[in-house]
Order: sequence, then structure tokens, then C-alpha cells
Amino acid sequence: MDELFQSRRMWRRHELKPHYDVAIVGAGVHGLATAYYLAKEHGVRKVALLEKGYLGCGSSGRNTAILRSNYRTVEGIPFYELSLKLYEQMSAELGWNVLFSQCGHLTLAHNDSGVAGLRVRAENNQLLGVDSRIIYPAEIRRLVPALDVSSGAHWPILAALYHPPGGIIRHDAVVWGYARACDALGVEIHPFTEVTGMETARGRVERVRTTRGDLAAGAVVNCTAGWASTVSQMAGVPLPIVTHPLQACVTEPLKPFLHHVIVSATLHVYVNQTDKGELVIGAEIDPYQSYSFRGTLPTLEQMATYTLELFPQLHGLRVLRQWAGVCDITPDFAPIIGRAEDVVNFYMDVGWGTYGFKAAPGSGKLLAALIATGRAPELLEPFAPGRFRQGRLVGEKAAAAVSH
Amino acid sequence: MRFEFNGTPVEARPGDTVASALYRAGQRVFSRSFKYHRPRGLLCGAGKCPNCLMQVDGVPNVRVCVTPARDGLVVRHQHAYPSLDFDWLSLAQRFDAFLPVGWYYKTFRSHALWRAAEPFIRRAAGLGVVPADPAGEYEHAFRQADVAVIGGGPSGLEAALAHAGAGSEVVLVDDQPELGGHRRYRKRAGPEPTDLIARVRSHPAISVLAGAYCFGLYEGNLLGVVQPAPHARCRERLLHLRAAHVVVATGVYEAPLLFPNNDLVGVMLSTAAQRLIHLHGLPPGKRAAVIGRGVRAEEVLADLRSAGVETHLLIAPEEVERAEGAASVSALRARGERFPCDVVVVCGHLVPDAGLLSQAGARLDWNAQVGAFCPAGLPPTMSAAGEVTGAGLSAAAPLPAPVAPHKRAFVCVCTDATTQDLCDALGEGFDHMETLKRYTTTTMGPCQGRMCQLNAIAVCARQTGRGMQETGVTTSRPPNPGVTLGALAGPRHHPIRRTPLHHQHADRGAVWLDMGEWKRPRYYRTAASSDETTCVRAEYAAVRQRVGLIDVSTLGKLEVRGRDAGRLLDKVYTHRFSDLAVGRARYATLCDDHGILLDDGTISRLAEDRYFLTTTTGNLDFVEQWLLWWLAGTGQHVHIANVTGGLAAVNLAGPLARDTLRKLTALDLGSQAFSYMACRQAEVAGIPAILLRIGFVGETGWEIHVPAECGPDLWDALLDAGREFGIRPFGVEAQRLLRLEKKHVIIGVDTDALTTPYEAGLNWVVRREKEDFIGRHALSGSPRSPRRESLVGLVVEGEQTPEDGSAVMINGRPAGRVTSARFSPHVGAPIALAWAPEAKAVEGARVEVRIRGRAVTARVTLEAFYDPEGARLRA
Repeated sequence: MDELFQSRRMWRRHELKPHYDVAIVGAGVHGLATAYYLAKEHGVRKVALLEKGYLGCGSSGRNTAILRSNYRTVEGIPFYELSLKLYEQMSAELGWNVLFSQCGHLTLAHNDSGVAGLRVRAENNQLLGVDSRIIYPAEIRRLVPALDVSSGAHWPILAALYHPPGGIIRHDAVVWGYARACDALGVEIHPFTEVTGMETARGRVERVRTTRGDLAAGAVVNCTAGWASTVSQMAGVPLPIVTHPLQACVTEPLKPFLHHVIVSATLHVYVNQTDKGELVIGAEIDPYQSYSFRGTLPTLEQMATYTLELFPQLHGLRVLRQWAGVCDITPDFAPIIGRAEDVVNFYMDVGWGTYGFKAAPGSGKLLAALIATGRAPELLEPFAPGRFRQGRLVGEKAAAAVSH
Repeated sequence: MRFEFNGTPVEARPGDTVASALYRAGQRVFSRSFKYHRPRGLLCGAGKCPNCLMQVDGVPNVRVCVTPARDGLVVRHQHAYPSLDFDWLSLAQRFDAFLPVGWYYKTFRSHALWRAAEPFIRRAAGLGVVPADPAGEYEHAFRQADVAVIGGGPSGLEAALAHAGAGSEVVLVDDQPELGGHRRYRKRAGPEPTDLIARVRSHPAISVLAGAYCFGLYEGNLLGVVQPAPHARCRERLLHLRAAHVVVATGVYEAPLLFPNNDLVGVMLSTAAQRLIHLHGLPPGKRAAVIGRGVRAEEVLADLRSAGVETHLLIAPEEVERAEGAASVSALRARGERFPCDVVVVCGHLVPDAGLLSQAGARLDWNAQVGAFCPAGLPPTMSAAGEVTGAGLSAAAPLPAPVAPHKRAFVCVCTDATTQDLCDALGEGFDHMETLKRYTTTTMGPCQGRMCQLNAIAVCARQTGRGMQETGVTTSRPPNPGVTLGALAGPRHHPIRRTPLHHQHADRGAVWLDMGEWKRPRYYRTAASSDETTCVRAEYAAVRQRVGLIDVSTLGKLEVRGRDAGRLLDKVYTHRFSDLAVGRARYATLCDDHGILLDDGTISRLAEDRYFLTTTTGNLDFVEQWLLWWLAGTGQHVHIANVTGGLAAVNLAGPLARDTLRKLTALDLGSQAFSYMACRQAEVAGIPAILLRIGFVGETGWEIHVPAECGPDLWDALLDAGREFGIRPFGVEAQRLLRLEKKHVIIGVDTDALTTPYEAGLNWVVRREKEDFIGRHALSGSPRSPRRESLVGLVVEGEQTPEDGSAVMINGRPAGRVTSARFSPHVGAPIALAWAPEAKAVEGARVEVRIRGRAVTARVTLEAFYDPEGARLRA
């Protein structure tokens, strides 16, 4: 309670030092989580987080903050489940409420093949201990009275994958909570410090150049999103990544009427209502590659159209803001985590597409273990950078495309 | 004119807004604030602040100060319990010591505590309520212009005339009901531009959209413009206006000053007071204290006096100590004195309304002389005119403001963030405008930053010792002003596609299945039964034992002609088609660069330079675009025509199909003359037709394509001819069962976004020796090498049929999935197509299938369940 009545800097300013044990590029939620676990669980405290903008300026502050672990594959499910569990403990662990609203997550199916797709997930979820099941219109109507489940709807709702532990979180609070905890553990956070290049020699990154000076580090970690491929290229590591914008919008506040996260993959839309009362609506990634943060009118119109297909009564509600983030998409819609094949002190936690936020605590914890011990935890193995060369793709693509 | 407010009738005059009519009727409290539920009155009078949000005809969060009063409107307050004048939740103010900025992050610091507290916080938040009324008519319109001028004040009018005079076609958009801009209510700022208005109105090259607002400027000078109520049956029309050049003449809006109790009811901006006086003939109060200096303040003072309001001498902004009053203002404290009043008129900061420019990439540079962020670095396709450029402004009050942190000096009226809150947040390290914004929620409310941004920047600049320019503005994002979901969605059409044989199916009792926009018969009810299982079983039996007929008109159909047609198909499809003999058909699959299956169908060569393609129902548009994409720029002579809508198609299949068809055509249908995978053009029942000898369901059969208008005749003729053989139409469900027994794959059902032809058991469709085709690199390895799983057949033990999507397990761990499962009358057991690990893709291997939570043993089979040699298909 004391903290309520005092104001103390949550993270301090530092001069950039010439050497760190670990330099992490990108102080978004992935970089912060990695630094946090390095310091907390492995005693690696000489860590610098290098952020080109303000804290949380990238995808960490642009996503729709949906958490869930009802993935499709045996590789993906335990990975996201680990993160979900860490999110559940986060407020207590960090002493900072991250506003995790575990309201439940529903993915709707509007046709037979959609139902079959949900069943694949439900079955694998249940077998791996994740609370997830198929429910039908009567139960959907009871849970979400606001939803139009009438059979006359153009997109009839035949079933839903119901995932009670899923929900939404305050994304900025996670960033700030981690930053505060990192600072307390001695990690240095350097906002407005853009990495502009790297010097490599003998298969190592020798120097990292930034807008505030150069530094050397025992390990260099790429935790960026949107520019993951360009940052890795600085270390001479090419990545099979393409970057697409992803757009979302938020409406004016309404009295609470929707208490679950509602997703429709067929309609390419996901909707939830925040505690403030605003509706947050997200879209499918834009169909073209771009680094643009500028929202587009057709996508905004599409989000509105699909939202009204599900909630026609909202036609008079005003959209207040639309925004875009950029997403690094890998060929199999699964992330790339691990040490670069040919640069021994260069690590990556990238290629998170549209689902990086929900995986941050878990991947940070596992990556920290890899950096500190040199051994890749079992859960990380499927996501190693070498898999594309070996043709070992992860089968998450079929489920991840729009299921936020 | 009369409308209803909280159940009480309110009289309104022509030209009134809902707010002005209410004000005339004595209403002073218009809303309650978001966090502390403080009473709030009219502040901006221009639809820019959150103070007059009400529920109008059920629609939440309506700005009543810009909503024209209409007869019969039903207006209700929102976010106050039980009433605007007395609100229980205003008790929250008493506990403000416990509710500092970010209080919710610092309390409930465990998941369990937060789970307990959250529902209560949630209930207290929000503004309006969701209406039950789903109705709402909206339109979309599209328009192009040489020049779009946004803003109908003197500068906008002049710009429109100048561009029109230079020969451009101009569209002028203005958000007020009448042109003239601020001159309509700032009478002393200059004469009303009546002459300009008349010239604009009568100019043939200028179209005026008055009462319409522009909410965003997108890539390529695309403007989103909303016209409220363009006609009686439409709530809003969204106009997509694309202009070669955009002139932004949006002027300025007024933002509040910071002093304690600056949010009391009765504290209003000077332009709001002037609007009441000049647009509605309403004195804002009896006795006013005016805060301001210079010409503009004198102008406001004179307006008030001429409206009969008693006024004190002008009070300079820096002299103000605080406003006083319980619910509404009773006095202003300044320079040690108390000025009793019932209204405080604030000459606030004039802020250039440069959002559109900023969205297009213009910078906003701080200009200390005028006390404003002014646009600079405009893109070449845009210009700015008038006060939005900063011209003619002078600073209302010194910026950055000398602020003492105070718990009642409101920066953000939308979310009740005060100077105290901002200073606390700055002390905690949120010293960048973007983080300050996110931590305090300033600029994130319904006003979209218009009331609070400048003050927030001033506080931030002051506390951090940085300049205004260095502190900078936050990003301007569309839509601004907000726009309704209804207007964005526009008219919601749901096209339905019916095949040419639709009425034939309806007459026969079809039960429909939606496949995208198409309606297809799932099965046909009969006089004997309408039970799905019974009907499907009967349809199945007809095809296996006699003859059946199915409508396959929904298949995508493309004609690819030209001397290079074969080359294009060789490039795009995995098989080779340039060597296909005329009169032959071949199964065709399409992959992407990663070798992943995208679509399948058949390709028939009707003539040397003419191919006939079918695609799956859902992928037609994609395949057509994909072919066009790969054709573009090659210089090849190929024409691609989508003939889907022009053709009806049926599949006649079963051991007696030949006997049926023979009655209607002169064609030799013998298994030698018209062999499996042959194609012919001939007349059937006197109708010119394309016949393909193919068999998705595994029996002797023909796919017959005829002109759409002849489809019903063909259907009837085939049923007539087949009557003696016991013919029966069959639906999609029977077809799915029939093809499953043949292990024929449906792309997108049995395959997913990572399936290659090799994994799907379609090795033979990939011609790896071809010089080039899409996916060649990915498929160049051995079909057997890096395969993790395979599509196999399963025969399931027991009576229960697995549901599509059920898990395949090995030792209780997930190891695959069932894609399609049905009870097979032929096998006498449930069968399935399923993905299983490569190690289990062995004839006779055992796996488990999870059926309703229970593990059931299943046997792997690699051959088709029915007629594995294809003897019946070829017969």
C-alpha cells in the first residue's frame, strides 16, 4: 500500500557502459522478460536493454493483449501454457497489478470445417491438460447473451472453442511491471538507444553500435519485433521472415456488456471489452508486406463490418482510434528462438507474428536459461533457428493465422 | 418542436441543438465525469469534449451539443446513478487519496485479489449502455475530385474559389450546418463571408458538403467523410473522397486552461459562450467572470455584455487562483479577490486542428509566439490555409503553464486526470509524452486529446525542464473525430449464390448446406423419411448399386486458351499439361512456393489451344487471380475466362450411369471409346455439353457441363432417363461418404496450411523433372524424406464414429488428427482419413482415436476402402 502514496522512479537512467554480460536489443516484453529471468534466476545482472524508442513503443504496446494457451500443436500448447501460468502469478511476483482479466476466450466456428478445426485444438488441449472444450449455441448464448446466435444470422454460430483461462491483460502494465522489477535487480534499461550496427569476427558479435555509443557483450540477444530480420542481418544472420502490418481499433467506452474475448477466424475479427468499457477490435494481418504504422480505411471498415456481424446492436458506437503494428511472420507461423547457427554469442527470440505478447514470460524464462546455461530447454527445441534448413516446420500455421 | 429528456418534454426552436434546447430549459449539468462522477456542464459547445455525452434514441455517447434537435427524439443521461443532479458514485471523490494515478496497478497485487475486485471496477466504468435496437441504415459512396477543401470558413471558401477558378473540380467539406466557419459565432472577429459563401454556392465546379465531417486522411489522399442523415432512410453515409490535392482549412479549436476546479459546471470555453449567444440567442448566464487577455478576450466580453450578461473586469489567466462552487461555479478567486458569478468564460488556448495534416506525415512544430504547434513539412499533395497554419493566432496564456500539482485542476476531462496525477506520473519516470499518455490515460478518452493534449505537453515540459518542441505531441491517428461502426461497415449485404438447378433441388425437398455464399443440397428429404442418416444412406446406395445424380455447378470453371496455355499451366500446376492429349483430362494440384497444397481440380484439353479447368468451390477467385498473377508480364499468349456462372454441371455416377446417359446422347460411351479420364464435347438431350469421364465418388461416371440456362432441362432429362434404373439425386453428405470410401482427399478439409502433396499421398501429381513450376524447389527432395506425418486411412473398432477433428493418439499422447470420418456401409465400420506419424503409416498398424474422451483402437490402411484397384471407376 505504501507505494500508493509515494512516487519513485520505476526505472533509473544510466550512462551506457562499454561492456555488459548480456546486451538485449529491444526492451519490449520479450526483452524485458529475458532480462528479468537472467537477473532473477541466473544471477546475470550486468544486462543492458537497448530500446530505440520509449518503453513499450513497439508491438508490446500495440497488440490487443489477449492471452490464451489453447493452441493446436504438441509443441505450441505447453509453451503457451507455461506463459499463461507465469502471467497468472505475475501480479504477485512483481508486486504490481498487471490487470490480468481471466475472463475466458471463445473462438467461434461458422461452418462444419471450422468446427472440425476447433475440435483438433480442443482434443490436443485436453490431452495436454489445458482447460478447453467445444461448446454449442445454447451454452454460448448463456455465456455471451450479447452475441447474435440466432440461426438466421448470415454467419451462424455452430460451436465455439471455450477456453476459460484465456483473457486479456493490460499490456503496458506488463512492460512497466517487468521494467520496474528489472531495475530493482540491477538491469540497465536504455530507452532511446537505437542499435545501428554490429561488428562480427570469428563467428562472434564483437561490438554493438548504438546511437549513444558502442558496447561489447558476452551475449547479444535480438528480442525485436517488426525489424527482427534487419537486426539479425547486422550480425550476419539471415532470417526467413516477412513483415506485415496488423491493425486494430478501439471504441468509446460502454457500460460492460461483453465479458469474454470473442474470436472468429472466419470473419477475421476478435473483440473484447476492457475494464474501462472500450471495445478493442483486431483484424487479420494486412495482405501485403510493409513496415507502415499508418492505419488504412478498408481494414477499419472490415473490422467494423465483421464486428457488426457478431454484434449488430453496436452500429451506433464510435471508433476512437485505429493503429497498426508490424508483425514478423515465419514460414510456419511459429517463432524462432535460440542461438544463431553460425554466430556463437548471438541469440534470437523473434518471428512472433501476431502472437508474441501471450508467450513472452515463457520464452523469456526459457531463453534466459539457454543463455545462462548454454543448454536449450526441451520446450525450446522445436523453435530452433536451424529448423528451416532441416525442413522441420512446426504445424501451428493452421491454427495461428487469426486466432488471437 | 419538442423532444423528451429523461421523460420530461423539452421545447426546441429551429436551429437548436439538443444541448441548446436543454440549456434554454435550465439544464446545466449534462454529464458526470468518468472516474469521480463530478457534475459536468457544457464546455466546448462544438462536439469536441466529453461533457455532453448522452444516450439519444438509444445510441450511446452522442454529443448533444452538435446534435440538431428534432421532434420526438428520446434523450437520456448516461453514467450517473440515479440522476445527473445526484450521483452516488460521486462519493469516489472523497476517496481520491486512495485513487492516485495508476492506483489500480499498485493495489490488488495478486491475481486472486484482482479477480475479486475487477467486476466491481468494471461495473463502475463505461459510459453509455448498449442499445437493444439492431436497426440502422448506413450507406457508402465514392467520389473523386481534383481538390478537396476541408473547412468552410473564410480561408476554406477562398481556397475553394481559387482552385475552382484555376479549372479544378472542387469538393468543399464543412462540419457545420452552415458555411462561414468561426465567423458565424465570432461576430466581432470580422464580417460574415456572405459574399464568398454565395460565390462558392453558385460556382459550377464546387460541390459543397455541409454538415459533413472528415475523420481521416489515408494513404493516397483518401479522405473518409461522414454525412449524417443524407436522406430519411439513412442514418449516416460514409463518402470515400479521393482528391489529387487536399487543402486543410480546419481552423482552430479552443482548449481549456489549467486552474483548480476548472471543470465545475458553469466554467465554459469562450467559443461555447459565443455559440450560445450568436447561434442560439441564449445568454450563457447572469453574471460572468471572463478569463483571458487581449483582443479576443475583449471580443468575448463585448459579446457577453450585449447579450445582457453582467460581467466583471477581465481576469488574466495567470491571475486565476481557483473556481469555487459545490456542483456549479459560484465564484472565481483571482488576484486575492472573490468574483461571484454563475458562469466563468475561459478564453482558452487556440489549437490548430491539424490532425489530418499530421496523419498525412506533416510535422507539428512548436511556435512560442502563437503558443501553438503548427504544421510544417506538408506532403506535396496537400496544403493548409487559414488559422490551422497558426496564422493570426496569439498565445492565450503562457506555455508551458506554471503548474502547481493540484488534485482538482483537471488536465483530462475525459478520465479525470489532474495536474497532480501528471506530476506524480512524471516523478515515477513516465517522462515521455507517449508513456505519460498511457500511464495517466490522458488524451485517450472520447475527446481524443483535443481538450487535454496541449496542457499535458505543457505540464510535461515544465516538470522535465524540456521545451515544448522537445516534449512534442503524441501521434495523431484516425478516425478523428470518431466514426460509428455502422458508417464504417456501410450497407451490410449478404449475397447468396444459387446454382442454376436450385429450384429443382427445392422441389425435391433439399435440405440446404451453406458453402461460402453458395447453397448446396446437403441431402434430400423423401416422402418416406426426413431423417438425415436414412436419406443419406439411401442416396449412397443408389450411387453404389444403381445410378445417382449430383449438382456440381458450384465447382469453379475456367477456360484457359491461347498458344501458350499449356506453358502457363505447366508453370502453375505441379503436373505437366502441355503434353496432355486433346480429349484427355488430368487431375491437377496447385502448390505455393513452400510446396503446400492450395487447390485441386481437373484440367481437360478440349482443343490444341483450349483447356477447361475446374477448381474447388471456395478457391475459384484465388485460382483465377493466381493464374493471372503468374501470367502477368510473361508476354505469353493466354486468355483466362471465368465461366463458372455460365455453366451448370452435374455428375452422373453409378454402375447404371452409362445406360442412363446412352439414352440421351449419340456419343459412344463404351469403356474403350470414352475411357476413364477422357473428355468429349457432344450433345446430351439436345444440349451442347462438355463431358468428363471422371469419378470423385468411385463409380463409372460423367461430369457434364452445359450452358447454365439449359441446366434444369439436362437435370430433368437425366432423371427421366434414369427412372427405369432407379436413379436418385444425391447431396453433399452422400458425396462426402462416397469419396471417403475412395480415400479421395478434399483440399482444405483433409489438408491444412502445411500439407504437401507428398504428405497427402499424392506423389504422382508432382512432376519433379519439369524445368520449373511453383513449389518445385520445396518439392525437389525425395517424396519420402522430411515427412513428419502422413494422411492414412483408419478403420475404427466399435460402433462409434469419431467426429471430424478427433485426436489420434499413441500411448495417450496426441499424435495426429482425424480429418474426415463417417460410418462406411461398405466396410461395415466407421472409417476415417487421419494424419498419423510417419512410423504408423504402415498397413495394419494400430493407433488410438479419441472419441468423446475415450480411446478407441483403429487400424491403419493405406489403400482405398472401396475398390482399391479402381476397377469400377474404369468400367
